[in-house]
Amino acid sequence: MNSGAFQERIREAWVEIRENLGRSILQALGVILGVASVLGGFSISDSMRGQSERLYVKLGGLDKLNVQPNAIVKDGQPTALQAANLGLRHADASGGAELDLRNVAGVSVRKNARARTRSPYADQDRQVIGIGADYIPIEGYAVALGRAFSDTELERGEAVAILGAEAAQTFYPSGDAVGQVLTVGDLPVTVVGTFQERVFRFREDQQNIFHWRNRIIALPAAFIQKRMQGDAYRRMDRVTFRLPEIGAIKAFSRDLTSLLKASHRLQNDFRLDDVAARMKKQQSQGDAYDIIFLLSGILALVGGGIVNVNIQMASLKERVREVGVKMAIGASGREVFKGFMTEALLLTLLGAALGLSAGVLFSWIITVNLGVPLTMRATSFLWAFLLAAVFGFAFALYPAWKASRLSPMEALRYE
Amino acid sequence: MPLVIDTREITKVFGANGTAVHALRGVDLQVEQGEFIALIGPSGSGKSTLMAILGCLDRPTSGTYALDGEPVQGLTGAELARIRNTKIGFVFQAYNLLPKASVLRNVELPMLYAGVGRRERRQRAMEMLERVGLTEKAQKLPGELSGGQKQRVSIARSLANRPAMLLADEPTGALDSNTGAEILELFKDLNRQGNTVILVTHDLHIAAMASRRVEIRDGLIAAGGPE
Repeated sequence: MNSGAFQERIREAWVEIRENLGRSILQALGVILGVASVLGGFSISDSMRGQSERLYVKLGGLDKLNVQPNAIVKDGQPTALQAANLGLRHADASGGAELDLRNVAGVSVRKNARARTRSPYADQDRQVIGIGADYIPIEGYAVALGRAFSDTELERGEAVAILGAEAAQTFYPSGDAVGQVLTVGDLPVTVVGTFQERVFRFREDQQNIFHWRNRIIALPAAFIQKRMQGDAYRRMDRVTFRLPEIGAIKAFSRDLTSLLKASHRLQNDFRLDDVAARMKKQQSQGDAYDIIFLLSGILALVGGGIVNVNIQMASLKERVREVGVKMAIGASGREVFKGFMTEALLLTLLGAALGLSAGVLFSWIITVNLGVPLTMRATSFLWAFLLAAVFGFAFALYPAWKASRLSPMEALRYE
Repeated sequence: MPLVIDTREITKVFGANGTAVHALRGVDLQVEQGEFIALIGPSGSGKSTLMAILGCLDRPTSGTYALDGEPVQGLTGAELARIRNTKIGFVFQAYNLLPKASVLRNVELPMLYAGVGRRERRQRAMEMLERVGLTEKAQKLPGELSGGQKQRVSIARSLANRPAMLLADEPTGALDSNTGAEILELFKDLNRQGNTVILVTHDLHIAAMASRRVEIRDGLIAAGGPE
C-alpha cells in the first residue's frame, strides 16, 4: 500500500533543511566542494587530453609504425660487419614478401637533406625532405594549390617540389609559386604544388607547434638520393607504415623486425617506433592527475563528512524532544532513522547538484584562461555524484543511528 | 466490561544495587473500558513512572502488564512503538506538537506511522479536528494557536488512530482555569462517547471530575486500586 510515507519524509526533510538554512548550507558545503573538485579536476584533465587527441588527428593519426636507422657504433672503430651495414636502404623495400600486408594501409619514406635553396626572392640554407608515396596523407598534409607528385615522378626522382605554406610565402611572396622553378643545391626544380597551412596551438596564446611543418620543401625521395647525393644504395631516414588495425601492430612489428634483421646480417641498425604506444605513455601522465584530483575530491568529501557528523550530532541535541514526541505517538526507531537519513541524503543530493554546477563553472573558467576548449564527459559527472552519494550516506549513518536509539521516555523529558 | 489496563505486581527500580531507587513497589491496577480514571499523587510518589509504563514509554523491572488484552512485557522497541501508535493516545502538558508541521499534519502523523493511506489520513484528521472544533485552523502552524487550541490539536492527534485509551499527563497544567475547564469538558465528552481516559494530575479538583481516583504513594497504590 502506498501511504505516501516516503513523500512525507522528503517533505519533512525539505522543511527541516529550509528552516535551518544556515546549518544546511554549512553541511552541504563539504559536498559542494568535493563534487566540484572531482568534476572540475576530471574535466580539466579531459580538456587537456581532448586537445592532445585533436593534435594526434592533425598529425595524421596515431596508427603508425616508424622504422628508423639506428647507430650501433657508439665509439671506436666499427667492425667490418658493422661497416658493411648501411642502414635503411631502398633495397630493404624489395623484400617483404613474407610480411602480412593485409593491415598495411599506407607506407611512406622520408629522406632528409640540407641544401642552399634559391628563388628570385630568397636565398636560404634550408632542410629539404625527400618523400615517398603516402607521405602526404600519413603526415597529415593536404595540397592547397597545384597537385601532388605522380607515381612516375616519385619513381624516377624527377625535379619537382611541393612547398609548405611558409616556404611558398618565403620564396614566392606574390603567391604564384606553382609553375616556378626553384634552385635546390645546383639543381633546378619545378614547383608543382603548395601545402595548406597547418596550425595547432595547445593553448590559444601559445605558438603554433606546426610552425616547422609549414617550412617543408618536399621533393621525391629518389631525387635526393640519386641526383643530389648520388647514393646508389638509396638510403633513407625513416619508413612509416600505417596500420589502422591497432591489434595488428604487435605481430607486424615482430615480422618486420625479423625480416630486417635477416637482411641486415643480424645487426640491430634500425629501430621500430610505435607512435600509438608512445602517445599512450604520454597520456598516462594525465591519469596521474586524475588520481590526484580524485583524491583531493575524496579528502574534501571526508572533511565535509566529518563536519557534517558534528553538526548533525549538535543539531540532534536540539531535536531530542521532537524525536521523543514522534516516538511517543508511534514512530519506531527505524522510522526516526529513516527520517534523519532522508534529510542527510536530500542535503547531499542538493549539495551534489550545486557542486556539479560549481564544477562546470570552475572548469569553464580555468579552460577559458588556459585557452583550451572545454571537454566534459558524462562519466566525470557520474563519478563526482557517486562519490558524494557514497560519502553522504556513510557519514549520515552515525547520527541517524544515534537518534534512532534514543529512549522515548528520556527523549520526552529532555529539556 | 473488558479490561483496558491490567497490571500485576509492577515494580520499577532505577539505578544500581547500592543507590537503587524503588519507584514502584508492586502496582496492581485494573481499568475497565470506558472508565475515566484520575491518577493522583504528590511528586516523587512514582506517579510519572507508572504513567510512563502504562504508556509503554518505559518497561517495568518486574511484573506483568496487559494493555487491551495484549501482554506488553518482553516486546521489542519496534513492537512497543506500534502499541503506542495504535492503542494509546497521549496528551501532554506541554502539548508537544511539531512546530514546523501544520495542524493537519500534526494530526495525520500517528496515522502516517500506522500506514494509513493518504486520502483516508486526511479525511480522518479533518474529522478529528472537527470533534475538537478546529477545522478552520487545519493549515495553521501550532505557533499561531493559543494554548487551549494547541491542546485541542494534541487531543485530536491522540484520537487519530482510535486508541484503546487516552493518557493525559497534566493536560491543563499550562492553561488558565477557564481554558482548562473547557479542555476537561472535552475529555468528559470523549469519555461519554466511550473512550477510556487516564488523567494524571496533582490537582484534586480536577481529579474530582473522574469516575474513579487512583492515588499513588511511595510506589504503591494507596487508594482506588482493586477493592
